[in-house]
Amino acid sequence: MIRFLLKGILGDKSRSLLPVIVVCIGVSLTVLLNCWLKGVMGESLVMNANFDTGHVKVMTRAYAQEAQQMPNDLAILGADTLTEQLKKTYPDMDWVKRIRFGGMIDFPDEQGETRAQGPVVGWAVDLLSAGSKEATRFNIKKSLVNGKLPSTAGEALITHDFAEKFKVNPGDEFTLFGSTMEGSMAFKNFVVSGTVRFGSNVLDRGAIIIDMADAQQALGMEDAAGEILGYFTTNQYDNAKATAITTSFNAKYTQNTDEFAPVMLRLRDQGGMAEYIDYSTTMGSLMVFVFVLAMSVVLWNTGLLGGLRRYTEFGVRLALGEEKNHIYATLIYEGILIGTIGSVIGTGIGLSISYYLQEVGVDIGGSMKNSTLMMPSVVRAAITPTAFYIGFIPGIFSVVLGNALAGIGIYKRKTAQLFKELE
Amino acid sequence: MEKPIVQIDNLTKRFPVGNSEFTALSHLSLTIDKGEFMGLVGPSGSGKTTLLNIIGSLDTPTEGSVEVMGQSIATLTHKQAAILRNYHIGFIFQSYNLLPVYTVFENVEFALLLQNLSADERKKWVMQALEWVGLTDKAKSKPSQLSGGESQRVSIARAMVKRPQLVLADEPSANLDARNSHHIVQTMKKLNKELHTTFIFSTHDEKVMQYLDRIVSLKDGMVEKDEAVLHIQN
Repeated sequence: MIRFLLKGILGDKSRSLLPVIVVCIGVSLTVLLNCWLKGVMGESLVMNANFDTGHVKVMTRAYAQEAQQMPNDLAILGADTLTEQLKKTYPDMDWVKRIRFGGMIDFPDEQGETRAQGPVVGWAVDLLSAGSKEATRFNIKKSLVNGKLPSTAGEALITHDFAEKFKVNPGDEFTLFGSTMEGSMAFKNFVVSGTVRFGSNVLDRGAIIIDMADAQQALGMEDAAGEILGYFTTNQYDNAKATAITTSFNAKYTQNTDEFAPVMLRLRDQGGMAEYIDYSTTMGSLMVFVFVLAMSVVLWNTGLLGGLRRYTEFGVRLALGEEKNHIYATLIYEGILIGTIGSVIGTGIGLSISYYLQEVGVDIGGSMKNSTLMMPSVVRAAITPTAFYIGFIPGIFSVVLGNALAGIGIYKRKTAQLFKELE
Repeated sequence: MEKPIVQIDNLTKRFPVGNSEFTALSHLSLTIDKGEFMGLVGPSGSGKTTLLNIIGSLDTPTEGSVEVMGQSIATLTHKQAAILRNYHIGFIFQSYNLLPVYTVFENVEFALLLQNLSADERKKWVMQALEWVGLTDKAKSKPSQLSGGESQRVSIARAMVKRPQLVLADEPSANLDARNSHHIVQTMKKLNKELHTTFIFSTHDEKVMQYLDRIVSLKDGMVEKDEAVLHIQN
């Protein structure tokens, strides 16, 4: 019977071709949009985690309240001890100290006079310790446009666009002006070791990256850090684990009323990331729902028209002694078969386009010039394991639903009426 | 004495038409014995097709009783009716109703798929049925490649392949020319003789009537005349 069904589906183009095309289009769009959303949202999420939020972040309570201002006067003191404690208590995570700061850099001319000045945001990260993953986290090697990574103290990376604007090249010197954590003026000379482009307008507008020890020295923050970030060793954010760790850590300080007591926040607790994650999840689910609905309506009509046309066949089959239930079941099997064929082809097409968009991407930098959102200027799709099966949900469900609704006609008509329609 | 294959007593069938009812068959009684080659004749609306549908367990009586092979049509469940059709009743349609995507062989085989027969058995039965109607050479053809007469012969093979006790043929010659009409009725007559299958025709085709052993004339849903036909051998 399955051979018969298959031959019937393949032989009758109106029964197979149109539904397969509809499923194919719907599934490929579902896969493509899924990959696109995963890519755009995922890349932004990873970028935010790597540059800003970590998977979890420890700050002082006072710092946490003003985190967007980078208030280093509220930084953690005894950061080395706290980091060591964190490493011992939560060994499944990589713990790193960071200082974020704002300041101005001054580029001198040959006589040592100011040639150019500009405001920058800065990241102080561990670039020089053996085994540090910070350079990888900031994707510095791939982002390097000119020069090299800092290899000794006193070297800094600056963003390429900023460097071009001030005609700065690797090897040039500059002076960083900022403020110490006590509020007095701080300045330190650096040598540009290289220029980088992160592919995010927010970062590329003007940023420098220096080694943590240099920043601690320049900003008077010995044994202090604005933030201690924790990353899962798998490099994948796991909300359940992050919740467990933050709950356990914060429990130790619930009785402590000191505003400089440490507090740990999950990625989703910071800077609207919860809304962002929820939005991406909701969008993904909504998208699948919309496609199921839209395809079901189309396929219901296709199935209905096909069903009406096939009353001759149903009549013959009833006359030959097939039960209505059996005919209805075969309609459902057909739906599964057509849905599967359409889903396989549609998934293939969707994945192919997604792969292209993953490799090439779409440059949205032009429209992101004034954006403060940390997201890449070239957005890309991301093919995840979900993309290989997500299309099958609307693909199969919609055809089965369409056939199921269309097949109700078999029951609504009396057997003799169906039979009469033969003539 | 052998029990009749169809026993109809006081059958009435009414259909709702708007707020009223249309009586298709009225107090009709009929006995059909096994092996008969008989026809229901009468003008359109006389109730021929309705009667065939009820005998074929595709419809149920409003009043009265219809027993086919000892089973009361009124009390059959959908499943029991399907089994009765599957194993014991064959249908031949006016417009053949062959499934266009399948070959002649597969169209005939379709009738056997619902029975638990092996592929070898099915093949043997199908080829035999095609041999009965003289179409073994067309087994791989599609219905679109057949003439009207050939299509109707495939339809006969499909009805006969499961060797039913009863075949119901609704205007089987209506779409055929005289030569083909004679040919297909002769084929059915031959099967009636060889396999002792009961054939009930609904027809108003004189060419078919001349082969019938019994003609039941219907008018306004009632039996107007029921007569045996005496065939004079040339």
